[in-house]
Amino acid sequence: MILISFDIDGTLTVGDPPGILPMDMVRAVKEQGCLVGSCSDRPISAQRAIWASHDIEVDFTVSKHMLPDVKAEFEADMYYHIGDREDLDRRPALEAGFEFLWPHEAVDMPWVDGPDA
Amino acid sequence: MPKQGVVPDDLTRPFWEAANEHRLVIQSCVACKHLQHPPAPVCRVCGSDTVEWKEMSGRGTIYNYGVVHDCPIRLLQEDQPFNVAVVMLAEDPGIQMYSHLPGTPVDEVPVGAEVEVTFEATANGQMVPEWRVVGSSGEGGEPA
Amino acid sequence: MTENAPATMYRTDEGTGPWEHRGKVAAVGVGHSPTARRWDGRAETCVGAISLIALRRAIEDAGVDPAEIDGLVMDPVTTTGAYWPKGKPVPEEVTSAFNSTDNPLDGIAGLSAEWILKNMPELTGIDFTMYGPGCMSNAICVAAQAVGDGLANTCLVLKSWHNYEGRYYQGGANAGSDLPGTAALHALWGTPACYGTALQFAEYCRKYGKNHDMMAPFIENSRQNGLKFPEGYWASHRPEEITPEDYKAARWIAKPANLFDNDLPIMVSAAYLYTTAERARDMRQKPVYILNHAASNTRPRSLTPTLDEVEADTARTARKIYEGAGITAADLSFENMYDGFAQFHQFHIEGLGYRGMKFGEALDFYQTDISIHGPNPILPSGGNIGCGRSRFWMHTDCIQQIQQRAGERQVTGVKPEVAVSGGPMPLGGRFTVWSATPD
Ligand SMILES: [Zn+2]
Repeated sequence: MILISFDIDGTLTVGDPPGILPMDMVRAVKEQGCLVGSCSDRPISAQRAIWASHDIEVDFTVSKHMLPDVKAEFEADMYYHIGDREDLDRRPALEAGFEFLWPHEAVDMPWVDGPDA
Repeated sequence: MPKQGVVPDDLTRPFWEAANEHRLVIQSCVACKHLQHPPAPVCRVCGSDTVEWKEMSGRGTIYNYGVVHDCPIRLLQEDQPFNVAVVMLAEDPGIQMYSHLPGTPVDEVPVGAEVEVTFEATANGQMVPEWRVVGSSGEGGEPA
Repeated sequence: MTENAPATMYRTDEGTGPWEHRGKVAAVGVGHSPTARRWDGRAETCVGAISLIALRRAIEDAGVDPAEIDGLVMDPVTTTGAYWPKGKPVPEEVTSAFNSTDNPLDGIAGLSAEWILKNMPELTGIDFTMYGPGCMSNAICVAAQAVGDGLANTCLVLKSWHNYEGRYYQGGANAGSDLPGTAALHALWGTPACYGTALQFAEYCRKYGKNHDMMAPFIENSRQNGLKFPEGYWASHRPEEITPEDYKAARWIAKPANLFDNDLPIMVSAAYLYTTAERARDMRQKPVYILNHAASNTRPRSLTPTLDEVEADTARTARKIYEGAGITAADLSFENMYDGFAQFHQFHIEGLGYRGMKFGEALDFYQTDISIHGPNPILPSGGNIGCGRSRFWMHTDCIQQIQQRAGERQVTGVKPEVAVSGGPMPLGGRFTVWSATPD
């Protein structure tokens, strides 16, 4: 099982500023059976609203400092956080025991297009 | 914690030179004996321009504190979260100094506890007064 | 060259009686620019350009001939923490789009009165310019005093903000390896901007037995009100509420201040038109009379204000506000005191004794109906938390509420007759009393 946490602003195309990762990518990852969710400075209610408006059922929506809670709650073989900030994404992700990916690295991961892609 | 270096300026040079000698000095008005920190060219109470530097005992108490989780200074971001306490000097509780409280665990700051001054080197070797809870364990300048 | 207002323009002393121009100056026009999170680099969105939009909208709103305007009061500083990087070239396509001054960053990283006049050729009658630096709160005090003193008859007031890429406050000295000795006494410990307020709030909670969660209804109310401010950043870009659950789940910045206790830096500009009560009578909008302006010049004894210093000063400020306006706390229909950081607000309103509040009671008050539809509205503008960092929503809202044109934000539980707004900090703030009638 792979768990993938997405930052929103600067990471997803729906972010402010927009990032490079389209919602379709999240949807595809979810459909392959990964655990997915968002970890963002947006209010949690706003994160839920974004996912709902794109019809994506996510497994978690948490604030920026809550990756350790995500790890405690979900059992997975690999934990990834994808974000665009050194201080607010990369460092806390590594401290929480997640692998960290910049958005441009995430698009090259095998789970984006499925294992056979 | 590795603090940024300090380049003393005219107003604060005596403070920083004393720190290099492990002494804590605070500006004092010759005319009205008022202590002031941060220093100023003149006394903020009586306006006298005859101000001197007085050595303090290096004792104080913790007045208040916050825990910094999102620090604007790059050098300190590695150490987040960390305590920043406000110490009141024993000689005059109106005089405040900031402290990372080396030796005190994050967010376990005993408000009202006695502290004593210690000196630690900043990035360029300039010494800076820091404060340690009296009787707290641990040596050196790094917090637990 | 435009000069800063002399200290005598601000009403800092207690015991001076009613303001000599009480009810003789009025706000008659409001103009806001669109907002943006950061500058996108285009000429038409630079801080100078959005200022021109705000000014022209204020003139249009008042229905006055631009040639009749004879005064301009503004703040030349357009940021508190977003600086043009040293050595970064000034974009030629931006400067060439405007009439420039000697400062190549004028209109991009700051704003002079000269730049405004060079780029608003319709303002042919201006013979008075002055800076009220710091905030709109300062500039409107200066404008009110200037119109009252006869230095200007029909006076524009302007405050604008720029914001760039990168995190606020993290450039400049904060990125460097050394600090000058004086700055180091404060800055070596790495405290974010909200730290001082967080300290005061921590002491407040200890003294009065309160806690951070009790701020949640205030934050929720502020954002709800802000989402009814169509010019606000959140209403126009990201209509997101902050529920109590959202607030309590947010990360700390400097505990006990969290992310949503902080406001969001944005690009925005607002302008008002001030004139004499006499001249105001035949303008398009209902005049909103200025009953008083008041200022605090208090400095903390040492590095950071203590709760005792804050409370003494907010009480002193309230006495000045009421004395000069000839009113009491009971006359306030609503309040619009500063909130960016959110934890300033309870200090301001406790000092005012809003609705009979005493020190230590504001957080309990927040647990009651503080909405725009109740009898005790708190911050109907939504403030900086509800609309983004401008430090002027509260003034605009006082004007529009009293004119009964605050739209969806209009207070319905009280009749909007007298209001107070101002800030930013309790120590060093500037305040205005607004009224539907001149007496
Ligand atoms: Zn003196």
